[in-house]
Amino acid sequence: MADRRRINAPPGGTVPPIFANTISTTSTQRPKRTRQPTDLRKVFLRTGLVPSASGSSYLELHAPTPSSSTGSLVPSTSSLKLTCTVHGPRPLPRNAAFSSTMLLTTHVKFAPFATRQRRGYLRDAAERDLGVHLEAALRGVVIGERWPKSACEVVITVLEGEEDRWWGDEKNATGEGARLGGWGLMNVLAGAITAASAAIADAGIDCVDLVAGGVAAEVGDGQGKEEVVLDPCPSEHERVGAACVVGYLGARDELTEVWMKGDGSGSADGLIDRAVEAAALMRTVLAEAVREGAMMKYGSGLPEADGAAKKGSVKAEDVAMTG
Amino acid sequence: MASAPSAISFPPATFAKLSPAPFVLAHLKPTSSSQSSTRPSGRSPSEFRSPTINTGSLTHASGSAVVRIGDTAVVCGVRGEILRASDIPHPYTTSGPGDDGSKEIEELGLLIPNLELSTGCSPAHLPGNAPSTLAQSLSQRLLSLLHISKLVDGRELRIEYQAPQTDDEVPDQPSEVVTKAYWALYIDLLFISLDGNPFDAAWAAIIAALRDVRLPNAWWDPDREAVLCSDRVAESKRLNLRGMPIASTFAVFSTANPQRRREEAEIWVLADPDGFEEEQCAETVTIVVAPKQGGKGGVLRIEKSGGGVVGREEMADLISQAEDRWSGWEQVLLQERQ
Repeated sequence: MADRRRINAPPGGTVPPIFANTISTTSTQRPKRTRQPTDLRKVFLRTGLVPSASGSSYLELHAPTPSSSTGSLVPSTSSLKLTCTVHGPRPLPRNAAFSSTMLLTTHVKFAPFATRQRRGYLRDAAERDLGVHLEAALRGVVIGERWPKSACEVVITVLEGEEDRWWGDEKNATGEGARLGGWGLMNVLAGAITAASAAIADAGIDCVDLVAGGVAAEVGDGQGKEEVVLDPCPSEHERVGAACVVGYLGARDELTEVWMKGDGSGSADGLIDRAVEAAALMRTVLAEAVREGAMMKYGSGLPEADGAAKKGSVKAEDVAMTG
Repeated sequence: MASAPSAISFPPATFAKLSPAPFVLAHLKPTSSSQSSTRPSGRSPSEFRSPTINTGSLTHASGSAVVRIGDTAVVCGVRGEILRASDIPHPYTTSGPGDDGSKEIEELGLLIPNLELSTGCSPAHLPGNAPSTLAQSLSQRLLSLLHISKLVDGRELRIEYQAPQTDDEVPDQPSEVVTKAYWALYIDLLFISLDGNPFDAAWAAIIAALRDVRLPNAWWDPDREAVLCSDRVAESKRLNLRGMPIASTFAVFSTANPQRRREEAEIWVLADPDGFEEEQCAETVTIVVAPKQGGKGGVLRIEKSGGGVVGREEMADLISQAEDRWSGWEQVLLQERQ
C-alpha cells in the first residue's frame, strides 16, 4: 500500500536491526522502579511554545535512568514527550450545520520515531481511540455554550511514547500478556489530558476547572507480590494486572474520564481512588505551569501588550490611518 | 452633520491584519534618509534569524535533532533499518571500484525523507487531511537535494560479507565480497511550530540529525541467513558526510501590481522570511551552498520561482549572503557535535 503523497520505503521492505546479544539472553537488566509507590516521575510542563497557535504546551516525563549511560544502542527505557496545540475557537464554515456549542475536535498522532518499532504516518486505531478518550475528558471541562457556531481543534503529537512492556519481554509476550498490552497508552492518555488542559488554558478558552490526568496500576513482580503504584512505568514491572486512567477536576472533585484496562474486578474502586490521587499530584504541576504561562504572557501589565509588542517590534506606537 | 472623518488609529497588530502589504511597506520604507529599512520583526532585510540546535534527544532514533530558527521549530529523527539484498526486486550490481555509492542510494531509495506539517504547527495545516501540496513539495525537494549533494556515502550503507577461505580453493584468489544488505535511513521531520522558511529549517535538521546518527556494527550471519547487529555503542559508527550544504531562502517583497509599470515598483529582498512576510512575497529564491575548503564557491542548487525581479547582479549578491550564512550555520553545527 504505497502512499503516493509521501516518499516510500524501498519496495522490498525493510526490517529493524536485530541485535546479536539480545537473541538468546538479555545482558541488561530490567529497569527498577526506584521511587516510592506514591511518587510520580518528574514532570516538565510548559505552555506557549507555538506562537501561531492559540494555545500550546509541551509535556515531558523524565526517565529515571538515563538510557545513554548503559553503553548499549538498545535504549533501556523511554520517557514520554508530547506537544499539544489548540487552534480556535474560530467560526464554523458557512456550509456547516448550526451548532449551539463549540465543536471540539481532538487528534492524537504518534511520530514515526516515537516507539521502538517505526510507526506509519496514517493514524491507526489506537491513535483514534486515544483521540476519543481525550475528547471525552475535555468535553466536560470546556464551557462550549460560550462559543456557538465555532470550532476548536486540539492536536497532540507524541514525540516519544511510553512503552507497553520491557523490551526484553517483547519476544516472550505471547498469549494473554501480548493481547492485553497497550499499558503505555494509559500514560500517553494521562499526559495528553494534562497537556491539553494546559494548552486550552493558554488559549484562553473558558473552562470550569483544570483537568489533570492520572494513572494507577496494579503491578506484580512475578513472585506473587502485588501492589498498586501511581504513575506506573510499564517497562519496570514484570506483570501489570490492571491499570486505570482518570481525568480529574480537582476543585470540583469530579471525573470526566475513566478508562480501566485489565482485570481490576476485585479492586476497581481502589484503583480509581489511586488514579485520582495521581491526578491530584499532577494538578499541582499543571496549575503551576498555567500560572507561569499567564505570568509570561500578561506579567508586564495589561493583556493589551499583544503579539507585535512581544516580538520586539520597533513600531510600538499606534499607526494612524485616515479615511 | 458630522465633521470630516478624523484619522483612526490602530495598534500595529490590527494594521498588520487589515492590510498586511502596506504594513510591511511602511516598515521597509525609511521615513527619513538617515534611517535604514527595518522589517516588522525588527530585523534588517539581509538579517537571518539565529538558529539553535539540539541533538540526540530522541530515545528511539539512531540520530535526532531539534532545530529552531526564530519561531520555526522542527524535530528530525533518523532511523536505520535493514534492506536485505534478497528483497530487492531487481538485484543491483555494484559497478566496480570507481563506484561511489551514490547510484545505489538513488536507485534503491535508501534515503527516505518525509516531512509532516499536519502536527498542528500552524492553523493553516491542520491534521486529519492528506499531506498538503506544500508538505509534498518540501519532501521532494529535500529528497532531490539529498541525492544531488551526495551527502551520504552509499558505500557506508552497505553490509558486506566475504565468505571465509576454505582449503580446497585456489589460495591466491580471495573470495568475492558480496553486499548482503543495505542500511535504509528513514528521515522523518515533524514541524512543532511553523513561522516561515520551512525548507532551511528542515534541511538543517536533516544535516544535524545525520551527523548525530550512530549505525550499529552489522554483519551477515551465514548460519542464520540474517543480518545481525552489535548493540555496543563503542562498535557503532557515525556517518562521514560529504561537506555541509546549507540552504538559505530569500523572499522578494515588491510594490509592483498590475496597474503599475514594473520600473516604478520598489523592491526589497528579505532574507529568511517569517510566516507573515512569506504571505506577502510571491518570489522566493533558495540557494544551497557547500563551500570548498577555501570558503568560497560551491553553489549546489539555486531554486527561484514566482517572479522576475531578481536578476544576475542581485543573484550574485544573494549568493554571497548565502555564503556568509553558511559560516554561521557551520559554527552552530560544529559546536553541537561533541
